[in-house]
Amino acid sequence: MLRAHEPIAGAPATTGAIEVRRVTKLFASRNGSAGVEALRDVDVDIRPGQFVAFVGPSGCGKSTLLKLIGGLLDPTAGRITVGGTEVAGPRRDIGVMFQAPVLFPWRTVLENVLLPIEVFGLERRAATEKARQILNLVGLAGRERAYPRELSGGMQQRAALSRVLVIDPPIILMDEPFGALDEFTRERMNLEILRIWQEGRQTIVFVTHSIAEAVFLADRVVVMGTAPGRVLAVIDVPLPRPRSIDLMKSPEFAATVFEVREYLGVAR
Amino acid sequence: MSKLRDHPGLVLSPLSFVVVLVLWEGVSRAGWVAPIVLPPPSRVWDGLVILFTASWFPQHVWLTTAETLIGFVIGGVTAILLAIVMVNVRLFKEVVYPYVVAFQVMPKVVLAPIFITWFGFGMESKIVMAIAISFFPVVINTVVGLESVEENASLLMRSLVASRRQIFCKLAWPTALPSIFAGLKTSLTLALIGALVAEFVTAKEGLGTLITTFSFELKVYLVFAVIIVVSVLGLVLYGLMEYLDRKVVFWRRSHFTG
Repeated sequence: MLRAHEPIAGAPATTGAIEVRRVTKLFASRNGSAGVEALRDVDVDIRPGQFVAFVGPSGCGKSTLLKLIGGLLDPTAGRITVGGTEVAGPRRDIGVMFQAPVLFPWRTVLENVLLPIEVFGLERRAATEKARQILNLVGLAGRERAYPRELSGGMQQRAALSRVLVIDPPIILMDEPFGALDEFTRERMNLEILRIWQEGRQTIVFVTHSIAEAVFLADRVVVMGTAPGRVLAVIDVPLPRPRSIDLMKSPEFAATVFEVREYLGVAR
Repeated sequence: MSKLRDHPGLVLSPLSFVVVLVLWEGVSRAGWVAPIVLPPPSRVWDGLVILFTASWFPQHVWLTTAETLIGFVIGGVTAILLAIVMVNVRLFKEVVYPYVVAFQVMPKVVLAPIFITWFGFGMESKIVMAIAISFFPVVINTVVGLESVEENASLLMRSLVASRRQIFCKLAWPTALPSIFAGLKTSLTLALIGALVAEFVTAKEGLGTLITTFSFELKVYLVFAVIIVVSVLGLVLYGLMEYLDRKVVFWRRSHFTG
């Protein structure tokens, strides 16, 4: 039912595929004694265009795994390939969104969205037109010249999302992007993400500690446990697309949420 | 009217000033204190009139202002450059920073006599003193500012594969600006102090020289008049920096959204 990410002209067909092979990550402790094992022997496969959620309690290493995929951290052991090439540092075919919007207060919304364009050294005029379209798409039309402090938390995250979308990355990593938002805003943002993904078919890796959010959004849920951080199970979500809030009432949704809870040991 | 009732300080503050002036005038006229020791406000006003009608006065004001501003600009610019090098070259910072902190703690006025010996009675020694005294707050504020970049923000720049230069120009420098301006504001006031102190030690011209000369001549009312001019000068310089600060660091009141 799902179609893979349309290959960009000239790009290899593996664009957007992510392979994590036996990855272990140790964080050295300050006093030089045995460090913390954030991840042990993690294997994950993500197909191009797939929406995958990492879910688990604090300390299960889900954010660490995301940073490893994004090249923002180096694995202690194991191998990660993205689009067929080994990850050896941050790369421009991956867009990253954090829990905080991280907008620069001295830049307007539009200037914030254009930041990656400037950093990449791309032509600004064409990008500005595109940035405006994206801001339209996420519901920030008319706020281009506002400063971040003038926006609500939800609008700030929309601006942060636009900053990712402006460079058209085949892969988007999201680290609890809506964790700081209230329940209603969060739900709206989730629907918006699905709508955008439906159009763009990027590979999305979405870290969350909300089981319901993970099941609602993802094709596959990677359930993670703590001490050491590891993968407990990978669950395919049998829900149809496109999804709406009504789906949360369905028995399949409830069953999948329950299955995830069982793996996390919180079902009792 | 209700505004005044909510903020009684708006009335009471200027009122208290007037009361003090009146009391001061009364004490002096009643002969409780010799007018030569503590001249009444009316006499100080005469002094101000004398200063502002004298043809020789503007050049003193101008000289002290010039010494202050030249010292401030040279001191501020080199301080910012030094801080940038320190933040970017770890080893250099490890070697130099302890000296910076040590000098910051030292009362720099002790250097004034030496600077006169080294750089002469003219403007140069005063400029050097202004540099010495205004330099360190800017260095320290710039270093602190450049190092206060948020973890998430640098992670974002790293995820974009930004160059070191881009990270500096687009993130670290703007992040540091509020702190740099705080340092510059302190420094400008300090530069004025530096110029005046050096003038106290030895000089031919300048507001500091006028203060020492009039003191020796027991023209205390003129000393008070010069002090008022110096205060206004300090206030004007500070106001200019405050204005620049608001223009440049317009986002100061907003925190990093993150």
